[in-house]
Amino acid sequence: MASREQELSALPPASDPPRGRLSVMLGRLIDPFLRGESRGLMSEVLGRLIYPFLRGEAPKPRPATGFYTDTTVCIGCKACEVACKQWNQLPADGFNWSGNSYDNTSELSATTWRHVKFIEQFSHESSSNLASLDTASDESPLNRWLMMSDNCKHCVAAPCHQACPTGAIIQNEFENIYIQADICNGCSCCIAACPFGVITRSDMGGHSHKCTLCYDRQRDGLEPACAKACPTQSIHFGPVEELREQARERVEQLHQRGVPQAYLYGDVPSETYSEMHSFYLLVDRPSVYGLPDAPFNPWLHMMGDYVRSVAGGLAAIAVLLVVVFLLKP
Amino acid sequence: MHADSSPQHAVAKPPLPETGSQSGYANLPVTKAPGWHGIIAWDALLNGMATGLFLAAAVSELAAPAVFMRVAKVAYPVALVLLLVDLGLLVLDLGDPLRFHHMLRVFKPSSPMSLGTWCLTIFSLPLTAAAGLSLLAEVGWDFEWARITAVVVGLLPGFGSAAYKGVLLSTNAQPGWKDARWLGGYLTNSALLMGCAELLVLSALMGQTQAAAILRTAFIVLLLLNVIPSGLLFANLRPAHALLYTREQQWRVGVLIAAGALIPLGLMLLKGDLLFILVAVTFLLAESWLIRFVYVKIPHTSPLEVRSGGIV
Repeated sequence: MASREQELSALPPASDPPRGRLSVMLGRLIDPFLRGESRGLMSEVLGRLIYPFLRGEAPKPRPATGFYTDTTVCIGCKACEVACKQWNQLPADGFNWSGNSYDNTSELSATTWRHVKFIEQFSHESSSNLASLDTASDESPLNRWLMMSDNCKHCVAAPCHQACPTGAIIQNEFENIYIQADICNGCSCCIAACPFGVITRSDMGGHSHKCTLCYDRQRDGLEPACAKACPTQSIHFGPVEELREQARERVEQLHQRGVPQAYLYGDVPSETYSEMHSFYLLVDRPSVYGLPDAPFNPWLHMMGDYVRSVAGGLAAIAVLLVVVFLLKP
Repeated sequence: MHADSSPQHAVAKPPLPETGSQSGYANLPVTKAPGWHGIIAWDALLNGMATGLFLAAAVSELAAPAVFMRVAKVAYPVALVLLLVDLGLLVLDLGDPLRFHHMLRVFKPSSPMSLGTWCLTIFSLPLTAAAGLSLLAEVGWDFEWARITAVVVGLLPGFGSAAYKGVLLSTNAQPGWKDARWLGGYLTNSALLMGCAELLVLSALMGQTQAAAILRTAFIVLLLLNVIPSGLLFANLRPAHALLYTREQQWRVGVLIAAGALIPLGLMLLKGDLLFILVAVTFLLAESWLIRFVYVKIPHTSPLEVRSGGIV
């Protein structure tokens, strides 16, 4: 991991994108308001009105990066959760007894961008043997813990990105899905669109939040905090193509070692969903991990829905016109 | 995800734990419900009432100006008031209402909300002009050509404003909503139905007997026509409703909705008096609100199994 970070550190650090002429002009106009030099209601209103229209030029694309999470080596230590909260300055969620194993954060939320899931799969017969966990019988698939560090999937064709009406959700130069918190107005379209239940609206600011894949760290040549903190290398970070290769080799390795159920989730596109830049190595059905078995991009229905919507309206207008023409004097 | 046939991508089916074990997160909802509640049901209703009234008035006036001009001149200001209330609700429903204008920093046809916001914004301009010029005409300043131009210009964005709402509420990953292929068809059709009903009320109140007679017939036909998209919508939602509501609850809501459609139909077939019209339209609006409310509540309602303690 350290070498990977050194490698990333060697990359030229990205700078703020240059601005276009219009953006520079607008920037000059509201700069006094933003810096607090001009006060008063009008200044506040003008600042608020113009600010969202300030634009920078899109940064040059960089190699796509992402996560590959090998759930077979996750030990449920939650170092990733803590590192994420620490780096992103997210508040704690309190001590909650969820009643679900060691899972106390329960779900991804506006303040929890990494969530470690715990799945206890033990049969009644073996529960009496739990004290002797070193026995061979307890290593069978029926008596096991599954743990998985979950986060945003950074889908290539992300429904949240397609749904966002403000342009707050962008695909950045690393092809990661990023929410610009200063643009989001909390309309919740992204929450409704996400098939993984990742995005949540914060009660504090009313804006949507989720994993940024540590965009700020990446721009400075560092790897994301969670991957850096993971003590078992369950969370891998790097260029997506490399991660896929690595993950496929690991699956082969597991198959050879007698874990035939190992497979990758999200590394390749399906007929109904794009590939994800955060994908997983799993050993049970996706639904067991709280993932949809067959994710579906709702936008596949959009054109048909528009056609039916327009047809419903046109039919009513046609009826109205016919009646008016037939009955008018 | 698992379309690739290579072994590492195939969905392997490992032996699952039997009795006494847990299936992890398998029975928990995957998606998160957006914070859209009753306010959105009202928004969907008012959106339909405003756009429907404008479209019904505009189409009728352009088709038979001699009959509908007077009532249309009253309908446009009413539609504007309804639209303003609706826009107010839309703004209030945001997590950060002061950032409403951020919707206008991009135009994204892939986002029904973006398309809808632009349609509503553009629609509000000719509607305001039509309403203002209609009121000015009442005090003797008649700019007829300008008013008609505003009405014609408002047709397309007005239709767009009516049509986007259903697509917005069906193009998502929410349980139930994602299967509602006919929501858009129902809502747009319903908007025109409500618009016709409102125009009928205005005609009756203003004593426009000729307009009221034509609109009464149109209302009856539109009520019958609306049965098709609403039936298709309920067919779409049936599996979701079966998971969320008991048979008795489904019957109760079904009877209320059917009454909301049949009572106005019966009343309109019986008589075209003002009282009958008012009662019929009240039932229709109540039924329209109920359908929208039941729909909006779907992702917020826990499945029956969970409520009865069937799922941990």
